[in-house]
Amino acid sequence: MKAMHKILLATGAGIGLALSVPALAEGPGWDDILNDAKTTDQVVSYGMGPWQQRFSPLEKINTQNVAKMVPAFAASLGGEKQRGQQSQPIVYDGTIYVTGSYSRVFAFDARTGEKQWEYNARLPDGIMPCCDVINRGVAIHGDKVIFATLDARLVALNRKTGKVIWNKVIGDYKAGYSATAAPLIVRNMVITGNSGGEFGIVGAVTARDVETGELIWERPVIEGHMGTLNGKDNGITGGAANKTWPGDTWKTGGGATWLGGTYDPGTNLVYFGTGNPAPWNSHLRPGDNLYTASTLAIDADTGVIKWHYQTTPNDGWDYDGVNEFIPFDGTFNGKPMKMGAKADRNGFFYVLDRTNGKLLNATPFVMQPNWASKIDIKTGRPVYNKDNRPGAPAGSEQGKTVFATPAFLGGKNWQPMAYSPDTEMFYIPSNDWGMDIWNEPIAYKKGAAYLGAGFTIKPLVDTHIGALRAVDPKTGEIKWEYKNNAPLWGGVLTTRGNLVFTGTPEGFLKAFDAKTGEELWKFQTGSGVIGSPVTWEQDGEQYVAVMSGWGGAVPLWGGEVAKTFKEISQGGSLWVFKLPK
Amino acid sequence: MDFARRGVLAGAAAAFGLLGPARPLIAAPLDKVRELGVLRVGLYNDNRPWSWEEGGRARGIDADLARAIAEALGVKADLAFFTADEDVSDDLRNVIWRGGLLGFRPCDLMMHAPFDMRFAAKEERVVFVAPYAREEFTAICSTQTKDCDMPPQRFVGKKVGAELDSIPDFYLMGSFGGILKSDVVHFPTGYEAAAAVQDGAVEMAVASRAEIEAALFDRPDLAARQRKSPLPMMMSDGWDIGMAVRDDSRSLGNAVEDIVAAMAEDGRLAALFARYGVTWQPAAATQVTA
Repeated sequence: MKAMHKILLATGAGIGLALSVPALAEGPGWDDILNDAKTTDQVVSYGMGPWQQRFSPLEKINTQNVAKMVPAFAASLGGEKQRGQQSQPIVYDGTIYVTGSYSRVFAFDARTGEKQWEYNARLPDGIMPCCDVINRGVAIHGDKVIFATLDARLVALNRKTGKVIWNKVIGDYKAGYSATAAPLIVRNMVITGNSGGEFGIVGAVTARDVETGELIWERPVIEGHMGTLNGKDNGITGGAANKTWPGDTWKTGGGATWLGGTYDPGTNLVYFGTGNPAPWNSHLRPGDNLYTASTLAIDADTGVIKWHYQTTPNDGWDYDGVNEFIPFDGTFNGKPMKMGAKADRNGFFYVLDRTNGKLLNATPFVMQPNWASKIDIKTGRPVYNKDNRPGAPAGSEQGKTVFATPAFLGGKNWQPMAYSPDTEMFYIPSNDWGMDIWNEPIAYKKGAAYLGAGFTIKPLVDTHIGALRAVDPKTGEIKWEYKNNAPLWGGVLTTRGNLVFTGTPEGFLKAFDAKTGEELWKFQTGSGVIGSPVTWEQDGEQYVAVMSGWGGAVPLWGGEVAKTFKEISQGGSLWVFKLPK
Repeated sequence: MDFARRGVLAGAAAAFGLLGPARPLIAAPLDKVRELGVLRVGLYNDNRPWSWEEGGRARGIDADLARAIAEALGVKADLAFFTADEDVSDDLRNVIWRGGLLGFRPCDLMMHAPFDMRFAAKEERVVFVAPYAREEFTAICSTQTKDCDMPPQRFVGKKVGAELDSIPDFYLMGSFGGILKSDVVHFPTGYEAAAAVQDGAVEMAVASRAEIEAALFDRPDLAARQRKSPLPMMMSDGWDIGMAVRDDSRSLGNAVEDIVAAMAEDGRLAALFARYGVTWQPAAATQVTA
């Protein structure tokens, strides 16, 4: 880690470090963010460090005493806007910053839970967000907290007052663009992806000046689109159009980068996952459809793609490839390696060489993914089960029903996994479900006849849908699993105290033994937990915080899955825990 | 796309019902509309020639028809534009029975809903009324095209246009062994695809009849022709267009149905369509005699 830090400073030297110096005095600077995984008295980045391993070296709370953990306080987000709360708290200088549903930001006193300020984005009533009105958290830098809004703006607030410092449109909400991810800070830049459920959008990653919000570089993720750096053309993504897309379909190819990215200081690469291709039906766009359903490694200074790895070429199941790519160091086949891992929507857990994107291993982390029989390690490509690809749009007949696993909500959806360098295991909040999918001739879109697709999501077994799994990245072996009735939709935290924390839709925050999976503690928060927990040390005590508030994409779908959460009430609270004195 | 399109899903309505806010402002049945003096009508954004905004004014067949209905009810029309969601089921939820998550108030009436018994059977929260027109897909071609009625695959190597993610798109991309796949140019709407033929950007476009007729009517000086024979292997043989009200607003639905029937009867409906260059074709559902 130390060597890595040095390299970073070298590459970052010319990138306006001097510019950001004045802000450092007023709050956390890049050094704080860079060292976030090692420092224990604050949480100043999404994922707790640039790698976003969600690992804390704290061990005051551990397997021996976690059973005694009690709430320190809870703080309500109030109002009538109690919907999905997917935020990860940020903790700095005695304040906890969280975002809430409907593009709100709150600052709470980290000792008492008293509200310091609240910011409500004024949202136009014409937005129709695809998947609930959630937000995943703020970035913090200097005197600012920065977050993205449902109407596709990036807003920087004074972290002490909640007053707007700058407010930039990053997409046209009328054209279907939105934003929900926590921004990523790299030196003096705030880096974001984009999102939107509508056809016609093209995924992109953009870097802006953290002080002003002005664009530094932009990298569209679909082959054929021109990137920019400092206002000038900076090369066409993929070199040229039409290499892996027919006709002009690349112009509206999809690939939204809606979940944000991670950063590796050693290689100076940001890793962003890309969404599924458009149009939905894969038969209309034969080819790999680059770079949809992929992980992209992008040079943080220039926005140039250094490598890509596509998890689902020519996706036909809606297996978004947005999942976080988490760098980690270790040995693989006896060799020390710089690696990264991703648990994909498509049900496979991928381990790559993070310097070049070469596949090292890929193994299923959910029950029986059937769209592909395996991932060929040599070619890096899936071996498709042709029978489990949904058919071409056929007109007036319904066509055959395909049962494909995982369901389109994914073996793992947005909820971030964690990695413990102590146990050398990834902790993956996964779901075991499949979908019936068929061509639906009786469909209408914008008032006109249309050929849609029909779905029903089904659990694979009656014992559970959710499963928190400990996976050994060297072998892909599942070391332990915790099964949960409802689908898991919250992030994971792991600590040197040999603990793994995650929430459940049933309302519990739970703690497990990181080595064995034994459940050691749980607490009922009053609504579903779909946020990401964090931990820090304050006044000599270790604290754990998580948001509670059921919602997100899962309740939008019904069928058998809905039975597992129909009694869950809505909410909107920050819960903070510690050991009794 | 974020979490994927919502398709046709068993139980989806029930799940939304659970989640939805406590029904802020309920779409009104007839007596309530009369009492308030306002009929709130939902219109699709960018759906020329049916409904679009121009210079701050609502234009189009659906906008004019909505105004005529409000006038006949003796109330003011409150025309509310909305953006089409992934399918009409989503639109019905956003516009009629729940409203938008971010404050879009439910409408009393939604124009341009499909009138299809099989589709209606799946939509428990709304009632479909007043089928007022029939639409179908056809084609427009350039005057340079020797034979406008030739099979579409003979346009191979020339640019052909369609609205993105529509049946014309699937038809041109997927039919005839996908031979036209590389020639398809995508547009945001069928009207724009038709206009592109007039502008010479593409040689042929597949769009709805109303979109093509309106494009030809709007710029008659630009030479282009409408296809006369049916499109071979077209996946849709046309559909009826009606309106939607909430399931507890049948009294309003009945009143609207009477007004539209009278307009069809005395020629006002055909005249209204003619203002936009569109030939009024009655809905098939109104042609069936019991």
